[in-house]
Amino acid sequence: MFWRILKKDLKRKKTINIILLLFVILCSMFAAAAVNNIIAVTGGIEHYFDAADVPDVTVQMLNIRENDLEERLGELAGVKEIRTEHWLCVVSSKYFRHNGKKLDNFTNPAYLLSDREMAVNYFDESNNIIESVDKGCFYATAPFLQGIDIKEGDEVELTVGNSHLTLKFMGRFKGALFNSGNSYSPYLILNSADYDDLDKDEDIMNCRQLYVSTSEVEEIRELAKNYSGVYVNTREDSKDIYLYDMFSAYILMIITIVLMFTAFVVLRFTIGFTVSEEFREIGVMKAVGIDNGSIRSLYIVKYLAIAVVGTLIGYFCSVPLGDRMMKTVSENMVLGSESGTPMGLLCSVAVVIIILLFCYGCTRRVKKLSPIDAVRNGQTGERFRRKTLLHLGRSKLPSTAFLSVNDVLGSPKQFSIMIVVFTLCMLLMTLMSNFALTLKSEKLLRFFDVPVSEAHILDTEIVGKVIVDQSTYKTIIADTEKLLADNGMPGKCTMTIGAQLEISHEDKTAKVNFRIMKGETNDTLSVDKGSAPQKTDEIAVTAGTLDNLGAEIGDRVTAVINEKEYEFIITGTFSTFVNADSAVFLYKDFDLGHLAANSVMGVQIHFDGSPDREQINRNIEKLKYLFDTDKVYSTSDFINNFTGMSDTLNAIKQMMMVLTVIVTALIVILMERSFIAKEKSEIALMKAVGVGNGSIILQHSLRFVIVSFIACIVSSAVLMPISNVMMNWVGNMVGDISGLKCDFDPLEIFVICPAILIGVTVIGSFLTALYTKTIKASDTASIE
Amino acid sequence: MNTVLQTKGLCKTYIVNKRQNNVLKNIDLTIGEGEMVAVMGPSGSGKSTLLYCVSGMDRVTAGKVFFNGKETANLGDQELARLRLDEMGFIFQQMYMMKNLSVLDNIIFPAVKSKKNTESRRQTEERGRALMRRLGIDDVCGNDINEVSGGQLQRACICRSMINNPKMIFADEPTGALNRASSDEVMNELLALNRDGTTILCVTHDPKVAAKCSRVLYLVDGGIVGEREMGHFAGGDKELRDRERELNNWLMEQGW
Repeated sequence: MFWRILKKDLKRKKTINIILLLFVILCSMFAAAAVNNIIAVTGGIEHYFDAADVPDVTVQMLNIRENDLEERLGELAGVKEIRTEHWLCVVSSKYFRHNGKKLDNFTNPAYLLSDREMAVNYFDESNNIIESVDKGCFYATAPFLQGIDIKEGDEVELTVGNSHLTLKFMGRFKGALFNSGNSYSPYLILNSADYDDLDKDEDIMNCRQLYVSTSEVEEIRELAKNYSGVYVNTREDSKDIYLYDMFSAYILMIITIVLMFTAFVVLRFTIGFTVSEEFREIGVMKAVGIDNGSIRSLYIVKYLAIAVVGTLIGYFCSVPLGDRMMKTVSENMVLGSESGTPMGLLCSVAVVIIILLFCYGCTRRVKKLSPIDAVRNGQTGERFRRKTLLHLGRSKLPSTAFLSVNDVLGSPKQFSIMIVVFTLCMLLMTLMSNFALTLKSEKLLRFFDVPVSEAHILDTEIVGKVIVDQSTYKTIIADTEKLLADNGMPGKCTMTIGAQLEISHEDKTAKVNFRIMKGETNDTLSVDKGSAPQKTDEIAVTAGTLDNLGAEIGDRVTAVINEKEYEFIITGTFSTFVNADSAVFLYKDFDLGHLAANSVMGVQIHFDGSPDREQINRNIEKLKYLFDTDKVYSTSDFINNFTGMSDTLNAIKQMMMVLTVIVTALIVILMERSFIAKEKSEIALMKAVGVGNGSIILQHSLRFVIVSFIACIVSSAVLMPISNVMMNWVGNMVGDISGLKCDFDPLEIFVICPAILIGVTVIGSFLTALYTKTIKASDTASIE
Repeated sequence: MNTVLQTKGLCKTYIVNKRQNNVLKNIDLTIGEGEMVAVMGPSGSGKSTLLYCVSGMDRVTAGKVFFNGKETANLGDQELARLRLDEMGFIFQQMYMMKNLSVLDNIIFPAVKSKKNTESRRQTEERGRALMRRLGIDDVCGNDINEVSGGQLQRACICRSMINNPKMIFADEPTGALNRASSDEVMNELLALNRDGTTILCVTHDPKVAAKCSRVLYLVDGGIVGEREMGHFAGGDKELRDRERELNNWLMEQGW
């Protein structure tokens, strides 16, 4: 009997059932793909680290040819093994040439390592361990390849210092501890002979990375505090490299949740509608003695069939989607043979169970219907709340618009749910737009510890001297300002320099990043609490640093700088993306002497006379020519260069737009078909009394336009508060950010996105409402 | 007497499961202004189909239909809709009304939609109230449609059918869903309308209803097999009983 009822029902409500099926497919597809991806990446990292033989701790030493850290590490009781890699640092991409053209595709220095000294396992694209590299050849990580059309066998020239090498590209390689994001340093593996040739050149900076197997991580950290330019990372810390790979999986998970919510709304509406439509059958079944549970299970059987079929299709569709998502991950990682398949299947089964439980809950109205309903046409005669709110006689609205508005007000619950769904769809689009825009917004400039400026020189060769001796900033700034003035684009330059030092408060000591802004600027440090430092004995700190030190604003801290002890008063807290839990800002007049820096945010240029954007772009082009570098950026490019997420978010935004179009269209079609079925008698009646098809179609379309219009207003109203909360939440995860206000593109937020939603609604509802044409005036005779 | 409705060779055929079903066969019918015509016949004889075809709610398969001298069979959907809105009124067995509108709004809705109507909304509303007053249901003006009784609702449907001052009212079993008292009330209202000059074509199973009409047509298998001129009903129980008796005898002869 179940099968007969199912067959009849599936035939009768073909469109509604197909749309429900599509929702289930989408839910299951996204859920399975997202879960598979998250499992593959989280579980995959451990497997990858094991395969690469990543030890417990890595110690990176920049610009240090020799020191005794390695020997002292060896003396520690917990240390079992130390492996060493030497890296040569090529500070700029311009030293590389491909097809005769200088490379300008990466900003950070490139590091070269020798095939003789590979301390961990590196893998080629086929996941085979690279044992050696032929002389005159090289492998490179992803950041080296971005933006250039390089193929295996292509030659790349490297001219640095007094050395020149022509190297044949052998392919991409994967390093478990090398970030493959575009804004990170590229790594190259060379043959040991080629490496040794370059190593002889005193002009090429040399760094070291130690791979330490130990049971005592803390003693290594303690020891490292005594050396500047030394960074200690545990195996656990290094997993953060792959956060980016999971980002898209988490976004998919959010989309899945929204889709599930939408599917539930649609299911609830459809089931509620079906149950109230079939009051007569239900009444008769009850009259002949069938219990509630059995009647409800009759309805469930249909949704079980749809859920099972939809989930199966969705699961199989998730395979190509998951593979596409995993493509980027597998390009960066060596994944094991074990995959998330069982979890993906489990996830699909969970979708079925959740849908069924929800459906069962929705059929509770069956309990309310009695055999009398079958006799009384489904009307109990009871009504406790007025349905009509407006009065046609007193309304100034045209009759069709009146009917639409009245329908929306007459069924507030039903239309509110649609408003919520449409609002969510809108928010998914507009939030992505805001995030993408904010992540390259000039508002973020202050979170990179630089003042208001229009152009940024990031060429490591130009600013690199500061790493060795921070006092060289004076020459760099003076030379740059003179060059600017000589070339008709006067401006002031600043440099934000960082150095790692120890700071103490009472009995607590922490290694923190001191930052200082050098050069002339009217822009003072933005503080979240307290005030910016005004004297050389004042500092601002991040909230994380305050916590680490157990200090408060107004407390005094001490630091040894250039072998002299200084006392500072904490005047306020500031937000930053850079080393947020250990950052301190000094007053600009504090003299760091010849202290070695560990970071420099380039040279910031603030042009005189407030030039417009076109002029700034012209100036940037001129600067590129004058400095013979491509690494001169506008503020938005500077920000994007560091965040690196704007383009990804833009891609996600476009995906969200497509998804919104699909989801909105499906909802509109489904709801409108339900409305038509439910209102068949009214439509026939209207036609009988002489209302034309056009008016009826307009009335039906207008209801959806009203709903989408309200959704646009609601989403616009809540967009900025939600954007700000979410952006600050994300900002706090990657840095120590508060008070960040998102940027928005009014055209996109208030015109394009609403136009997409309203457009899809208008087209979808209009085309579906054309179905009302099939209802004839004479159908009034055949309606129950 | 002017002719309001005329059909010539009216045929209506449905194709069900590839089988042709001739519901109406060559119907020739003429209804004059001020007449109140009842259509009777056994179930499935085509009574309602005839009503829908002549009122333009359904398309005819063959033949001609003239309403107020104008041929309607060739009119487009829009023109037919306008004709129904401006020139015709409808009453159905089930008291169909729009659920989201109050009783009064349901009544004035056709007037608001009509381009012929030049009144302000307020004037239309007043006219709606006046009609309701006339039919004795002005106390349920602002009520929802499920807050009134069946009889009141059917009277509201009569008000709606009258709101555009139609030339003719088509009633399909107007008392079919009502009890005897409500049925009498509704029929009295229809009679009053007819006395005021409105032509009425009424499909019914009920000889008591048909007895109040001036002419009765008897339909069997899609064809008019009998026609009985009854004359206008002046009112009174005795006359009604006589008319009923006369009609019942005639219906028996027709095979009722």
